[in-house]
Amino acid sequence: MLNHFRSLIFIVTSFFIMSAAMPVLADDDFADYKYVLHISDMDPSKQELILNNASNLLEAYPPGAVAVEIVAYGPGLRLMFADNPNAQRIDSLSQSGVKFAACGNTLKAMTKQLGYEPQLNPDAKVVPGGIVRIGELVKKGYIYVKP
Amino acid sequence: MGEKKLFKHALISAVCTLAFAAAGSANAANWLMLQGTEDPGASPRANVWGFVQVDYQRDYSKANATGQYVPPKLRGPDLDSQSGFNISRARIGARGTGFPIDSNINYFLLAEFGNNGTTHSASEYTFAKLTDASITINDIPGARIRTGLFKYPGAEEGLQAIHVFDYINFTEATNGLLLERFPNHAYTANLPAQNQTQLQTGGALNGFNAPVGAFRDVGIQVFDAFDVGNDWEASYAVMIGQGNGIEFDNVDGKYDTYLYASAEKKLGGKGPKAEGFKFFAWSQKGQRLLDSTPCAVPATCVAADANPVLYKRERAGLGVKYMDKPFRVTAEYIKANGMIWVGPDKPTFTFAGSNGAEADANGWYVEGGWYIPNTKWELDARLDTMTRLKGAIDEHRFNKRTVGVQYHFNPKSRVTINYEMRDFSCTASSTPCTNANKNLDGVGNKLGVQMTAIY
Repeated sequence: MLNHFRSLIFIVTSFFIMSAAMPVLADDDFADYKYVLHISDMDPSKQELILNNASNLLEAYPPGAVAVEIVAYGPGLRLMFADNPNAQRIDSLSQSGVKFAACGNTLKAMTKQLGYEPQLNPDAKVVPGGIVRIGELVKKGYIYVKP
Repeated sequence: MGEKKLFKHALISAVCTLAFAAAGSANAANWLMLQGTEDPGASPRANVWGFVQVDYQRDYSKANATGQYVPPKLRGPDLDSQSGFNISRARIGARGTGFPIDSNINYFLLAEFGNNGTTHSASEYTFAKLTDASITINDIPGARIRTGLFKYPGAEEGLQAIHVFDYINFTEATNGLLLERFPNHAYTANLPAQNQTQLQTGGALNGFNAPVGAFRDVGIQVFDAFDVGNDWEASYAVMIGQGNGIEFDNVDGKYDTYLYASAEKKLGGKGPKAEGFKFFAWSQKGQRLLDSTPCAVPATCVAADANPVLYKRERAGLGVKYMDKPFRVTAEYIKANGMIWVGPDKPTFTFAGSNGAEADANGWYVEGGWYIPNTKWELDARLDTMTRLKGAIDEHRFNKRTVGVQYHFNPKSRVTINYEMRDFSCTASSTPCTNANKNLDGVGNKLGVQMTAIY
């Protein structure tokens, strides 16, 4: 009984700790504002710009009021390479709830060109097609932005 | 999942995260990495870049007792006047990752169009000169390979990007011992000091046929940088080069070896102005062919009279750099053995046979900067010295104190004003110093104003 009580305390405490550290973003179904940010550009400055956009959106709205997803395809997929110098920022944004979608079609094409599959940032989720993902999100009411 | 297993997974995740972060941060915190690598996954196919430096310098030195001038009293690279404007550097290049999804190979290309020792030698004035053309292969963890023409690992003044150098002119030790002047292939007699009329009618005091080394070599380098924890980064480089600067021949058939190691406590920022506390040490070893023996009748010299001899050329140094805005302090000690150029008091080309070619020298400098908070102004001060032909009968000592101010219009454009207080003398009491000091008598101060624009 005591063990069960301890477990309960552990779970409740963990829940509160996790809540404090949880993303400030809302689940997209409940967010007041929803943005999909699109990167397909090779220009490295665009990588920083799109991450700045995501950070600024998080700061602009009250916690839980905004959902942000970054979709990368084509040359823009390099943003989500594991060794990209912005990896730490991506991790930080991901922990704040920003979602990262990596285009599966681009990944296949790059794998064919390189002869091996590029290692992606663990925060990136591979979607079948980046362009398709953008369409789905826009249909769900996301505001489309290409910085 | 048991608690132990959960802890193990969390620990593995944490270690992986740390390792991942470390790998990412070890890419742009020192000159080896800044010049030899690109950010993986974020470099352009071809980033066109370059910079222009325009300067005005006035040398306040006086002619010697007979109205003649030697190089320290004139402005280079032309060495025919004491004041004037110059496009000291005008460089354009490209760097990046040619196949952008493959971060393992990058390149660096740069050409000089300005008027300086790389484009202006005794034998020719070239419109442009290739100063960098290298390829880096990053496939082997801990052993990146860079090959081609590029800056060799060495002293801070030479290795650092010149467009962020905080002064107009190098220290005496860097200029005299490290900015290499290569012996002409055939014996070349020394030219006497020149008077104003001689200078105005084509009297040339630059006797070197090859361009200066520009702290570069053609060869291959293995290098890398490692995050060793607590914001410390360790770097190393090993290079083999032809020992002929930005020229491509290897006429002596010998190779130079370069070693470099540094440890830096990173304090923040990135790029050429990254803040940190760096300790570094380096060495170079090589040999140079020198013909210092004139034939009996110089006017009739033929190839058979040539007498080239291999002399060793060794350089080493260690230093420290602290940069944490608003303060910057750098100090470095440089030691040289062999192939000491003894030009400035003996007007032109000379390694002085058994003297300069086998002589020792050393030098050091301490410099500091203060970025005046909340302004665009920066104040700089530098003290440097060089002792040349150390222990020889015509040992020289050159001292220079430089004060400077810089105004940064923006992060890529600035004006630099320097005032150099110079004291050159042959310090031994023997006869060879008599003539040298006659020529060096009157070396005065120098004023310089330089505008830099990076694009």
